[in-house]
Amino acid sequence: MLEVISPGLLDTVQDLGFTQGADLGVPRAGACDAWSLAVACRLLGDPPEVAALEMTGSGPTLAVRRTCVVALAGADLGAHVPEEGRLLPPGTAQLVHAGTRIAFDGGRGPEGGTPSGGHGVSGARPTAGWRTYLGLAGGIDVPKALGSRSTCLAGAFGGLEGRALRAGDLLRPGRPDDLGAPGRRWPTGGPDPVRARPLRLLPSPATLGGPAAGAFEALLAGTWRVGAVDRLGLRLDGPPLPADREAAGRLVSRGVIPGAVQVLPDGTPVVLLADAQTVGGYPVAGVVIGADLPWLGQLGPGDRVRFRAITPARARVARTALERRFALLAARLERGPAWDLLADAAG
Amino acid sequence: MTTRIEAFGEQAFLVVLGGGVDPAVNRRAHRLAAALRDDRAAGGPWATPVPGYESVLVRFDPRVSKAAQAQRRLERLVERVDPAPTSPGDPEADQDTDPHPIVELQVRYGGPDGPDLAPVAERLRLSQSALIDLHAGQTYQVFLLGFSPGFAYLGPLPEALRLPRREVPRPRVPAGSVAIAELQTAVYPAATPGGWHLIGRTDARLWDPAQTPAGAPGPRGSHPIRAARPLRPLS
Repeated sequence: MLEVISPGLLDTVQDLGFTQGADLGVPRAGACDAWSLAVACRLLGDPPEVAALEMTGSGPTLAVRRTCVVALAGADLGAHVPEEGRLLPPGTAQLVHAGTRIAFDGGRGPEGGTPSGGHGVSGARPTAGWRTYLGLAGGIDVPKALGSRSTCLAGAFGGLEGRALRAGDLLRPGRPDDLGAPGRRWPTGGPDPVRARPLRLLPSPATLGGPAAGAFEALLAGTWRVGAVDRLGLRLDGPPLPADREAAGRLVSRGVIPGAVQVLPDGTPVVLLADAQTVGGYPVAGVVIGADLPWLGQLGPGDRVRFRAITPARARVARTALERRFALLAARLERGPAWDLLADAAG
Repeated sequence: MTTRIEAFGEQAFLVVLGGGVDPAVNRRAHRLAAALRDDRAAGGPWATPVPGYESVLVRFDPRVSKAAQAQRRLERLVERVDPAPTSPGDPEADQDTDPHPIVELQVRYGGPDGPDLAPVAERLRLSQSALIDLHAGQTYQVFLLGFSPGFAYLGPLPEALRLPRREVPRPRVPAGSVAIAELQTAVYPAATPGGWHLIGRTDARLWDPAQTPAGAPGPRGSHPIRAARPLRPLS
């Protein structure tokens, strides 16, 4: 069991998101980087349907109140046990002992910008990526709302009381007595959403793209930098996208999906993320493919972004291929050597 | 206009009925969404469909149906549920065969509950009580829910009450605020940012995920409101 001593920039309990309530204004929510969430869960023998802690930019300081196993995946935000000088790198499951803490010493602070900078962070090290996931055995034990343990910040429900973590919050594992996974390590060489690459983009539906003719091509041609990011979306800095203001003004609200690139009235592209509102009235310039959403979820302030075109058929193949890759890597995990001796010796 | 089915990403379709903000078109969108929910129960690959004013967005599970299969299934469903009208303005086509209970919302208009009532009345060249009568005198259709959980876009507003949204949105509006903008009126279910004009406030709880059976949140745990009628409280 862990207790929050001081929260990070934005820590929320997430699973894969809400499958109910989309027609009631409930965003999908869930992990912005579902791949890394699944890695953190799988390191502890759990399916991605259990909940983990999503941390953003700079992480919390957590007290270990009861010895347990934790797994980390995603960006390296410098997780370590200060009392032992032991690192908790992403892609590992490790035992943490009661009386010690988990602190995050790297990553980027709220101002973003250069990776090695950091607001109020000492000994910052360069990192890539923006979000990291901490898993507990059996998932984080919080009640389900609308069938999910994700946090709906807009509705203030789900996850841990519908909000970001605060000092004093307790995180309980679903299987508190399960200490069986320490030393597991996710195989290297597989897909890694933290390693940025061009995002593959499909054209938008005709009705939504119409008022932004030329915007799809402009996205492909340009180089963009991430401006502001939150769980709803990320703004891209760069030349404004072309849009027919009058036609755009006539668009009425309809459903949108994470990955859609909206065009604001001033031409700013905004790529929708997990907490995006379920409906929108802005033109859409293009749609990032499902297989690339984890990479989208690892973009932080100041990151460079490029897009490339893809066909719908290849987009579907990419998604299936990613799922298969995950299964193959997870299978190697179970057959890998035990690291228990090393982990226990360090503790 | 003819209904169009457009791909939205590689795993969703947007069914566009067209026609802007039109109660009859919106009812067709809701019938389509209901048919998709029924089809899901019958093994269809659909996630929860999301109605818009004149559209329905529906994601599909590619492990249940391949894209081409899903599209064909959707096309057949649309043809069955929303056939092209044989003649314009066919009254039979707009039979609202699924009667919805009308939710009545007690509203306290004006004063601290409706800080924009006075300036809006002036802008619309109405007395405050005429504005209130007009607003409370309608039964509104729920066009869609979105913006935030439980936020229902209600309308259409009478012509005399229409004005653009606020130049400067408020960073936070009180939960239960009753607001108007353009053709719509709405109740903010929670204290969120808001760009519409606040003319009153209701204590009705429009959103409570705890108070729900598996499935459908809404007032009194019933289906989401399809129609709402503001009422002034008896004083």
